[in-house]
Amino acid sequence: MKRRRGLFLHLSHIRLLAKKFALVILFLLAFVFMLLNKTENAIIDKTYGWASEVTLSIIDVLVIPAKIIAQGYNYVRDLRSLYRDNVQLRAENQKLNVVYNKYKSLEIENRLLTSLLNYATPPNSEFVTARVIAEEGDAFSHSLLAYVGDKKVKKGQVALSDKGVVGRVDKILGNYVKIILITDINSKIPVLIENTRVRGILSGNNTLSPRLVFIPLDATVKVGDRIVTSGVAGVFPAGLPVGKIVSVGKYEIIVKPFSGLERLEYVKLVDYSIADDDKNESGRKEE
Amino acid sequence: MSQNLKENASLVIKNCLPFVVSVLVLLISFLPYNFFILKGVHVAVGISCVYFWLQHRPDLFNLWSAFGIGIIEDLISASPLGSNVFEVLLMYLLVNSTSRLFNAKPFIVLWYGFMALSLITLFSRWLIVSIYYSHFLPLSVLFFSYLVTIVLYPLLSLLMAAVQNKLIKEDF
Repeated sequence: MKRRRGLFLHLSHIRLLAKKFALVILFLLAFVFMLLNKTENAIIDKTYGWASEVTLSIIDVLVIPAKIIAQGYNYVRDLRSLYRDNVQLRAENQKLNVVYNKYKSLEIENRLLTSLLNYATPPNSEFVTARVIAEEGDAFSHSLLAYVGDKKVKKGQVALSDKGVVGRVDKILGNYVKIILITDINSKIPVLIENTRVRGILSGNNTLSPRLVFIPLDATVKVGDRIVTSGVAGVFPAGLPVGKIVSVGKYEIIVKPFSGLERLEYVKLVDYSIADDDKNESGRKEE
Repeated sequence: MSQNLKENASLVIKNCLPFVVSVLVLLISFLPYNFFILKGVHVAVGISCVYFWLQHRPDLFNLWSAFGIGIIEDLISASPLGSNVFEVLLMYLLVNSTSRLFNAKPFIVLWYGFMALSLITLFSRWLIVSIYYSHFLPLSVLFFSYLVTIVLYPLLSLLMAAVQNKLIKEDF
């Protein structure tokens, strides 16, 4: 009888220990995940991609009712500003007509000058339009998840909205992609100030306003200056609109992105094939 | 025999309900709503669910359920893999070690408890991720997320309490 009680106590102790041990193991596992994530392990990436695809398929179903709610909310909100928007759009349309005529004549002039100078045109781009199904923006990360279907998308492709750069493709998860926004802490884009041609790096910091860093100390920077991609490092092509400077402080320059990252329904994933072109170029040189 | 099977299946489903409801709420929290109020802020749904179910039905929500919530959050989020798991496990540990304090207490006490424990978990995660990036993440954004999370907690708990009352309670 005594032996039985002893055995019972023993087993319960083991069970209790195992329970406590499980928590420790899971904590360790969390740290191992973080370390493996830092080393970009291929097996982890593959497993992660597969598991994400399953989870995202569920989100894709849930997104339909959520979209209806959001559309209803936007409809009511837009109704309030309908008249004002109409007047504004008419004025804008008149201005754009003038700009369009100018653009047409400049286009012809540009074509003529290009042929005269024998200028090598930049590589052609291909794009895929992706539907945003989930978004995340907090102190830890800023990202989007978008559905691309069976279209071919490569890691590092530029994500654009109708107004400018949104981010870049970070992970391909089957029919979905994870896009790191320009506001994310991992985002560092070589940019330049459009009118002064001063180069710098646009660095995300997990807030809605990224910072402009690594600019020369004697550079002239003004509030309202437009920021475009510089094309340095070869990830982003030159000249894509990014944002404008909204604050110039003693220690930091704050930029507001052009593309309203808060109202993205679709994004364009553009393949400029810069990396491929570089490879082809080096291959040709070797030959 | 078939009656027995049906009963068993319904029991299994009801046992899984806290986890399934938590996952659903978690997935919904990632949907794009375009509500300008919540821009730049993400409600910490994972820890809210873990806290609620561990306080109300610890028998139906165990360590593995919490781990599952963390993993799913990690899969959707772009933050370092494992950081959400860490946050959720920490909440599990804290709730379990303070369960005596909140046992059979009114909602307001549980809410205060959530305020304290979520602050610890969010700040710990902030510290871990800051070490991971070797860069301090913006504390103001984290604090605003924390405020939104604690303000929305009663709403979230109302929803989960409804699930608990309607679907689980009657059978136990």
